[in-house]
Amino acid sequence: MRAGNQGVLGPFGAKAVGVRSLAGIAPAVVLVMWRREMKRYLRDRSQIFGGFSRTVLWLVILGYGLGASLREIEGYTYGQYILPGVIVLNVLFAALQCAIALVWDREVGLLREVVVSPAPMFSVTLGKLLGGATISLIQGSIPLLFAPLIGVRLSVGGLLGAWGVIFCLGVFMTAVGVIIATRLKTFEGFGSISNGVIQPLYFLSGSIFPLRGVIGGVGFLDIPDQLRDELRRIGVFAIGGGWVVQLPEWLKVLVYANPVSYQLDLLRHALLRFHQLPMTADVLVTVLAPVLAAVVAAALMRRMTAQR
Amino acid sequence: MSPTGSATTVMGGPGDDQAAILADRLGRRYGDVTAVESFSLAIRPGEFFALLGPNGAGKTTTLHMLTTMVRPTAGTASVFGLDVVRQAHAVRRLLGMVFQDPALDDRLTAKENLEIHAVLYGIGRSERAHVIERALEWAALTEARDRRVRSFSGGMKRRLELARALTHSPRVLFLDEPTIGLDPQGRRNLWEHIAALREGGMTVLMTTHNLPEAEACDRVGIMDAGRLVAVGTPRELVARYGGAGAGGAEVAMPGPGRLDQNAPGQAPRDSEPADLEDVFIALTGKQLRDEQATARDRLVSFAKRGGEHTR
Repeated sequence: MRAGNQGVLGPFGAKAVGVRSLAGIAPAVVLVMWRREMKRYLRDRSQIFGGFSRTVLWLVILGYGLGASLREIEGYTYGQYILPGVIVLNVLFAALQCAIALVWDREVGLLREVVVSPAPMFSVTLGKLLGGATISLIQGSIPLLFAPLIGVRLSVGGLLGAWGVIFCLGVFMTAVGVIIATRLKTFEGFGSISNGVIQPLYFLSGSIFPLRGVIGGVGFLDIPDQLRDELRRIGVFAIGGGWVVQLPEWLKVLVYANPVSYQLDLLRHALLRFHQLPMTADVLVTVLAPVLAAVVAAALMRRMTAQR
Repeated sequence: MSPTGSATTVMGGPGDDQAAILADRLGRRYGDVTAVESFSLAIRPGEFFALLGPNGAGKTTTLHMLTTMVRPTAGTASVFGLDVVRQAHAVRRLLGMVFQDPALDDRLTAKENLEIHAVLYGIGRSERAHVIERALEWAALTEARDRRVRSFSGGMKRRLELARALTHSPRVLFLDEPTIGLDPQGRRNLWEHIAALREGGMTVLMTTHNLPEAEACDRVGIMDAGRLVAVGTPRELVARYGGAGAGGAEVAMPGPGRLDQNAPGQAPRDSEPADLEDVFIALTGKQLRDEQATARDRLVSFAKRGGEHTR
């Protein structure tokens, strides 16, 4: 039998030289874990398809559908206004899907093999986070392909800025996903994550409605009842009519507490030169949130995989 | 190192006077639950050792303590003289592990899975390709090397994992229920691969609740309710506890008359010769099977239905 031929200890003659590391980071391990994430992503066509279908649904259908009523926001069409939001939505899905696969990996996948190996766990986590961020960058760029279609002209500077924000958001959300994954005991499907994490973060970020403003323009404060009746008779329904948009206080608190709001605001600034929140807060949150989340994620990964 | 004599004799070489695995009153508690208690055992280099017991007997916990994944709450253990807690990192480089369920990335190919392993264990770039080719050849997976693991049969996955566990030249191999869930053909095929390692002088510690497999090992340790209740060669155990008179089995846990309480309870099977199963029943008063579904089992069965890929 073939198996019997190499009958010595270490049948394949390998000499493990040990994992080389620099300042606590092993580049080879980071790279191999990053490449693993990329391969998994590129082979999963459903994720790429999802990125496109989500974009078309939101940007084109909602953009034109709801955009027929909300004709403009500060000079931008509704489609243009939600473009950064759709990018964020794609990033949320990409990053969390990548991170939540850890639950799987830990119980029936490769992670156990990683845990008994001498590889440093911090590098493994780093590879995961960078992988999630790179996938986010690709998935988040899909809506940008539709930018010309809705009349958004991208400058080189704007595009680079947008990619910077998307990458930061990708690291942040992958880290958040890792934190969630280390807490989950079991996991049967992506639905709960989608409904419980992605949708609140998305809807509470100012992605699809402006934080405050005036609809209809000053002067049209309201449509008189008589005119409404006449319009109804010829089959036209009066929508809105011009009032100051002010979010309810509780909703405002939630939006302001959501870190994604600031990242989205900065992204909107990069793409449209329009933002609604203080720029300092935007930049600080965009840069610091991923660092903070990554530190927590690495610590939890370490704890989850440590000798217990 | 080369194999010297039969696998049961202690191998020559630098590790001669040193136990491959040494456990001294090893124990693990989870809150009030004792998973493993006072587990003492010495395994010689080149020995082929099976831990036999029903689910929940503490076999996997013991294995996880010896492979540095679980921290013992009592006692000590070492692998070739290296402490599994204080020198965990060094121990990891010495051991190869095959888990009960496949620990592969099934969206990657066989070759890609081996590549990750090679990087994790720091196998030099220049050696990697060559080592991976030999591992694939050994596992008879050369032709399937660029196929995704998802399309592999259970037997192919297990062979791949076994080959993977060997790529970094480990000195001890830990196999957790290596043939569980395989069809008879896959089982036989895998066993041939394992047997080849044994001829090569590899030290192997495996858990099983398959009796013929245990009977084929140099020595067998029987675990029940977290304790190692008997250790010996299969023949010794049958002679000692199988009802066919006294033998020379070493009893791992002497003392509290536990064995003697149970031993007289079984009557010698009249006609058929006693085997390990009789020993097992005599020692534990139980059959070798026992099932209960945990959260993890549900996940595993979900995985088998398509799992991650069904959204």
